[in-house]
Amino acid sequence: MGDSVAGLATLARTIDVDFALIGHQESWRAAADVLAVLRGPERTPLPDDEIKDILPWIPPRAVCHVDVRSIVRTKSGGAKARGIYIDSFIPPDRLEAAYVHENIARVRSAAACAIKAGAKIVSLGGFSSILIEGNFDQLPERHDTVFTTGNTLTVAFIVQGIKKMCALEGRNLSRSTLLIVGATGDVGSGCARCLAPIVRRVLLSARNVERLRKLAAELEADGIQVEIATDLQQFSAEADVVICAASLASPSLLLGRIAPHAIVCDAGYPKNLSPSAEMLGATVFFGGLGQVTGGMRFAPDFHGILNRHPFPDVVHGCLLEGMALALEGRFEPFSQGRGSITQERVDEMETIASRHGIYLAPLYNADGPVEDAPHCQMECSRG
Amino acid sequence: MEPLTSVNCSAIECTSLSTSAPIWQDILAQAMTGELLAAMNYTSLSEMCEDPAEIADALEHSECERGHAAAFAAEGRKIGVDVANNVDAKHWKRLREAFLRCIAERDFIGCLIVQEIMLESFAVASYSRVGKVAPGSLGKTFARIAAEEEDHVDHAMSILRAERARDAQRFDDKVYRLHLDVMTTLAQMLAKECTDGHCEVCHASCVKPSLFDVSLSAAELRGASLQQYLKTLDILGIPGEATLTWVTQLPV
Repeated sequence: MGDSVAGLATLARTIDVDFALIGHQESWRAAADVLAVLRGPERTPLPDDEIKDILPWIPPRAVCHVDVRSIVRTKSGGAKARGIYIDSFIPPDRLEAAYVHENIARVRSAAACAIKAGAKIVSLGGFSSILIEGNFDQLPERHDTVFTTGNTLTVAFIVQGIKKMCALEGRNLSRSTLLIVGATGDVGSGCARCLAPIVRRVLLSARNVERLRKLAAELEADGIQVEIATDLQQFSAEADVVICAASLASPSLLLGRIAPHAIVCDAGYPKNLSPSAEMLGATVFFGGLGQVTGGMRFAPDFHGILNRHPFPDVVHGCLLEGMALALEGRFEPFSQGRGSITQERVDEMETIASRHGIYLAPLYNADGPVEDAPHCQMECSRG
Repeated sequence: MEPLTSVNCSAIECTSLSTSAPIWQDILAQAMTGELLAAMNYTSLSEMCEDPAEIADALEHSECERGHAAAFAAEGRKIGVDVANNVDAKHWKRLREAFLRCIAERDFIGCLIVQEIMLESFAVASYSRVGKVAPGSLGKTFARIAAEEEDHVDHAMSILRAERARDAQRFDDKVYRLHLDVMTTLAQMLAKECTDGHCEVCHASCVKPSLFDVSLSAAELRGASLQQYLKTLDILGIPGEATLTWVTQLPV
């Protein structure tokens, strides 16, 4: 055990860091699994009550090293980028507004870890970007480190997922009524700009009516028919394509009235949809996820722990954006939040990601894959 | 326990303290024992040192810790309780033995790591928490001593950082070796429940379940202590992913 710990310390000192990923766990189960890996297989896992007592006290810090490989070949093999995953250790049950100052302090502290490690680019995963969005000046003083929310690639994968699911279901997207929940957020508004021009009708929902009106006006200026509401029950039509991109502290969204057999993309982190939501006839999938086809490596081995998906090397788009930019050698704050994501920027990010073999992940939901996925079956059979 | 009165104690304060005095008595006993152990450690350190300045420094620290112990005893008297101490209590004895092993190896840096990084992290964090909730002069005393202990740590940090700059790998290995010894004992002390028998410091049954009555909890004191420890190791420059692993592997 001593050797492995000493080895880890040595690793941390000797590896240059291209990128850092700042994240947090969306459930106590996920947090428990992270701590179990750190604790090692020879020790009894911590009881749940101990985890809930201990985790809130852990200061943000690097948890593991992450190597990501591109499909671009160089003379010395595949291009790769090296990074670290920094957990802000925001307790899964403290994402509500009441903890906002504490959580911003955690993200700032995590950012300081990334800067100290010499990361050239930092992706802000999950609530990290929501907390800092539009307030990048709240991050610690930077030298050669840039930050990206990663939301542009998230939008790209949501849009790709919607198009793919429509194709799988034999739907014509241009005849669809699109509902975006959390439409005024960075991700929601980006999805609106990308999809509104290619659907029949657009329904936008969010808590802030002024911001809804502003987004609607922007879309209507391009000749798009838009309906807005803060209450989902107020819409005059039933949506048959739904994107859930609200910043909810826990899965609590009940969609209510949507079209039978609607396609629903849950793109929240934590997930938006309440487990008790009745989605009879709807096809739900988790959106915003990409897959690294060049391969990823964690040290220590957090495979399947930090990326808890039924497919290998699947990661949230927000984190993948930092990896893609690092592989590209473009260390720039590509996504800075506050609704600046456009179709052009999404196209640009998609091009960068795909050049390095980062594509839309196979679609899945809580019950498993929602499309034929041979490599998923292979992964599952490996056990 | 007799009703309590003190010239330094307001009526409201005395009423609240009269019911919680047995709890404060045990908290003070743990703190006093820790301070006396620290005083003994610094005295031992002074006997190992050769540089007159280092000897004087260690003796000064020892006196300071004795002063803290006396202050805790005085706070006990104010609320009408005798504050016991027991540096031979099982956990504290093991901590003392760990320090003495460094002394036997004439390992000055090891001594500083045990006392200033590990034991003081525990003291600073737990005294600070107690200082926030303890009423009147009791709270002020805990807060004042927490601040003074923090100054001690700052003093040692410059020495330890210079040492780490010379050979980080060797330094980190030493800290880890001492961590396994000392922090394992501290983690057992700080466990939410004392499942391995009486700690030999509390005057009756274990005080931990009663801490809620004075707005504290064993889990909070443990969490704050481990957080302080991790932050101190961060300042030393030891990689955070390594120290996180160390801490998550401690017993609970």
